[in-house]
Amino acid sequence: MSQSMVEPSALAGRRRRARDRGRAPFVLLFLLPAFLFLAVFLYYPIEETFRIAMTKSTGMGSEAYVGFDNYAKLFVNEEFLAGLWHVFGWAFWSVLIQLPLAFLVAFSLTFYANKLTGPLRSIFYLSNVLPSAITAMLGRFIFAPKFGVISSLATGLGWKWLGSVDFLGNKDLAFWSVFTIATWAYTGFPIIYLMARIEQIPAELREAAELDGATGWRYAWHIVLPDLNYPLRILAVLCTVGSLKLFDLPYIMLTGGPGNATVTLGITLYRHGFINWNYGKAAAVGVVIFLLSLGFTVAQFSLGQSREGEKA
Amino acid sequence: MKKRSVFALTILALCLIASPLSAQKVKLSVWAGDIPDDSPDHAYAKALVTGFQAKYPDIQLDYVGLGNDGFKDKLKVTMASGSGLPDIFQTWGGSVMGGYADAGQLLDLTADLKSIPGSAAAAQAVTWKGKIYGVAPFFAVAGLFVNEGIFKDNNLKVPATVEDFETVCKALLAKGIQPFACGAKDKWPTLALYMYLTNRFGGDASARAATRRLAYDSEPFVKAAQLYQKWVKAGYFGDTPLGEGYGDAQTLMFTGKAAMIVSGSWLSANFASSEMTDQKIGFYAFPALKSGSVGKVTDLMGMTDIGYAASKTAASKKDAVVKFLKYAMSSEAASAEPGRICSVPGVKAKNSITGQASAVFGGAKTVTFWWDQDLPPSVTSPLNDTIQSFFLPDTDVKKALSAYEALVTENMGPVKK
Amino acid sequence: MSQLRIRHGAAEVLATVLLVALAILVILPLLMPLMFVFKTQLEFSYHPWAWPKQIRWTNFAEAWKAVKIDQGLLNTAIVSLGAIAATLPPSALAGYIFAKYRSRATELAFYAIMVGYFVPSLMVLIPLYKMEVATRLNDTLYGLFLPMAAFGIPFWTLIYRSFFQTLPADLAEAARIDGAGHAGTFFRIMLPLAKPATILALLLVFIGAWSDYLLSLILLSSQEHFTMQLRVASFLNAYGTDRMPKYASAAVISAAPTILLYILGHKWIIRGTLAGAIKE
Repeated sequence: MSQSMVEPSALAGRRRRARDRGRAPFVLLFLLPAFLFLAVFLYYPIEETFRIAMTKSTGMGSEAYVGFDNYAKLFVNEEFLAGLWHVFGWAFWSVLIQLPLAFLVAFSLTFYANKLTGPLRSIFYLSNVLPSAITAMLGRFIFAPKFGVISSLATGLGWKWLGSVDFLGNKDLAFWSVFTIATWAYTGFPIIYLMARIEQIPAELREAAELDGATGWRYAWHIVLPDLNYPLRILAVLCTVGSLKLFDLPYIMLTGGPGNATVTLGITLYRHGFINWNYGKAAAVGVVIFLLSLGFTVAQFSLGQSREGEKA
Repeated sequence: MKKRSVFALTILALCLIASPLSAQKVKLSVWAGDIPDDSPDHAYAKALVTGFQAKYPDIQLDYVGLGNDGFKDKLKVTMASGSGLPDIFQTWGGSVMGGYADAGQLLDLTADLKSIPGSAAAAQAVTWKGKIYGVAPFFAVAGLFVNEGIFKDNNLKVPATVEDFETVCKALLAKGIQPFACGAKDKWPTLALYMYLTNRFGGDASARAATRRLAYDSEPFVKAAQLYQKWVKAGYFGDTPLGEGYGDAQTLMFTGKAAMIVSGSWLSANFASSEMTDQKIGFYAFPALKSGSVGKVTDLMGMTDIGYAASKTAASKKDAVVKFLKYAMSSEAASAEPGRICSVPGVKAKNSITGQASAVFGGAKTVTFWWDQDLPPSVTSPLNDTIQSFFLPDTDVKKALSAYEALVTENMGPVKK
Repeated sequence: MSQLRIRHGAAEVLATVLLVALAILVILPLLMPLMFVFKTQLEFSYHPWAWPKQIRWTNFAEAWKAVKIDQGLLNTAIVSLGAIAATLPPSALAGYIFAKYRSRATELAFYAIMVGYFVPSLMVLIPLYKMEVATRLNDTLYGLFLPMAAFGIPFWTLIYRSFFQTLPADLAEAARIDGAGHAGTFFRIMLPLAKPATILALLLVFIGAWSDYLLSLILLSSQEHFTMQLRVASFLNAYGTDRMPKYASAAVISAAPTILLYILGHKWIIRGTLAGAIKE
């Protein structure tokens, strides 16, 4: 029973604004802690990043203003463009493969609740708790030529064709090798997040569906999936921004190689900032990552704006 | 009663007097890559820390070992922020150290350190623009490690000229042995061989290119790259060279699956250890070209293996710093090291391979520092990328080198005619 | 009322089999290092994937000694608990506002908080370090977990927002009619219902802080403050991949506590989320 539905719209607007003003102190108070943390620890570094991106700086004192020069140089640089292409590809395939996979697993685990589902749940996130250095090491163990699992197994079984494939050194395969191990490591969070959300669906809905004779698939497609619309979009944002920032796995496994086959924006940033001492360029890459993330997130959330209004 | 309380008061008074004195303990922070634990690789670090602390109990040493990569990252961030620097840190010298010096972050120790006995090349590595900033107790040279057992079994001789490699490699391939291990996946291991080939074709070409009197796509560089690529294509680096990391390369050598590797003398400890390998491996100088070799066998590629420098923040503790650096260069500490070449006179090599390496180093007429430590940082990782690209079959080496030359021109200026 | 036990017959069996297969695929890579840790270096070099000839604990013993686990444990615990205390409250409060008090202003505020997630941590390190040295926050444990919280708040605000989103609006209406203020509604009704989010956050923030490497590396300088993970990671780094059995032992030591923590903590999650799903 909402008052605003009964009153004429002009009055409703004014009531809403009065209501907003009345709540303002409460809203501000609740938002204060988060902003405080961010202001102290993140806003200054972010501002510095934007500022330094316009300079030619070694990061050790000497700074010279160069305007947009760093950006101009970046966009004609082969490594940067390769990195851009790779992170887009990474984001695309992550969302396309990890999210449906996560949904299938999450749904199956919650739908078919039996004695095994408890332990199985625990297992799926396990790969996510490892530090990236170890995940990279495991990736190396699996894909390395001659010493890796795949190669050794293949040679042992007499499958020479598989045993001599260079998963890490082949320009076309390297990306997929890193992507595979990343999927292994990162799908865990979407799974447990979706599971937590699915379990919030009232049991009555599910029983009603059962009584209506809906099979598992129809229940999943018509009831669960729409309910997960917002969580899935959040996961898409997290996946994409994570892909844009990606650094650890391709760097530790392959240093962005062979050549530039697995280079990412994050690697370019690290190279410029930590190896080449071209701090200005590193900051410029940082800004690019930042703006791309912002752009994508705004797009994702504003596209679904109307839908959410109904939900709340 | 009275006597005891007087006694107690005296003790108390003495303690009070003594405590400000003991509070005078100087604290030295040292950041390095090696962890001073019981591992044989880290024997020197351990001896350095425990020996120094025992010898100078009034100096409190906080030695922090972070592993090479962690240490490098932490140092970079600290140097870039200009604050919170350690008193002493590990360095390889060259222009990376020079960059810190130019930014005014280092302590000039020329007066205190110039009298320490040591090899000239080592001293040069930690000198920048005439000033000495640290010490280099251990020096590494790159050379040719050869599996002598395999060679003997196959009646092969250690290559005496660059051309000999072809015969040797063909024979090894016929026996199903990978001629060269390298570690091309990690990019940097590809450098040593290229440095040698360029030197043999062009003498001091790299020195001239670095001071902009020669271009990086000029003849010696291109010829060396073409030979390198020819060898890769012929299978001398195995059939999966780019998937092979530096650790894998060593494992290949440990198990006799590869016969040779062109790398630094720091590998001597591993190759000499019966725990790591059961193969008999020797260290040899990299050969020259049979004819028309501009570079000679006595032109070596090498640089600091372990070195230390001090930062400006330690200016008030200069005495303690100098004590530490001198101790780092002492035979007492240095003799604990199992495999690296020592630049401290009088320290004997602990195993035959290090002995061979030391002898090669001793006979050096010129020493060229690693390009990726000696060039300005803005052009070093692209260099390793370029060399690694020689391993890709479809790379046009001349184009790759020209692209690199363009980058160098942008960062260091064009070639002066 | 408990969930209905619905028998699905063949579909359930098939699904379970597939899930188990997937789970095995997840676990197998984790077991790989175990093939190495018991071998000598030579044995590993020649036969990396064969079964170890004997169970040798020396590699573990050496790694354990070098890592000095006991010293880092207290520091790590302080940092992890501090991270939780500093991350969860701001995220829950902000997430609630962004879910239930929507307006153009709060949407803008939401993006302002999310930008904290968009900046790659590598970029932030140098200014952050500079600032910490200037304020003497560096080389302290709180100087470590406070920035950690700052990094985590955008993420968890987003997650909390999504959980609060699903709670129906009439709950708030009912509370208001009962006389509860904004704060009361939040603390007594909404927050308890978002328990799955809180439990998830508790576990994941703890594990994240426990296994943090980069921030600990940069912001801590003296041995006495080092966390366990930093020590282990340094040990790993110092060894390099030519000494794989030792390296693998150190890797197992570094990963094992995190894995154990997760398995223990996960039982909580199951209980917690099931409780949340049961609506009165």
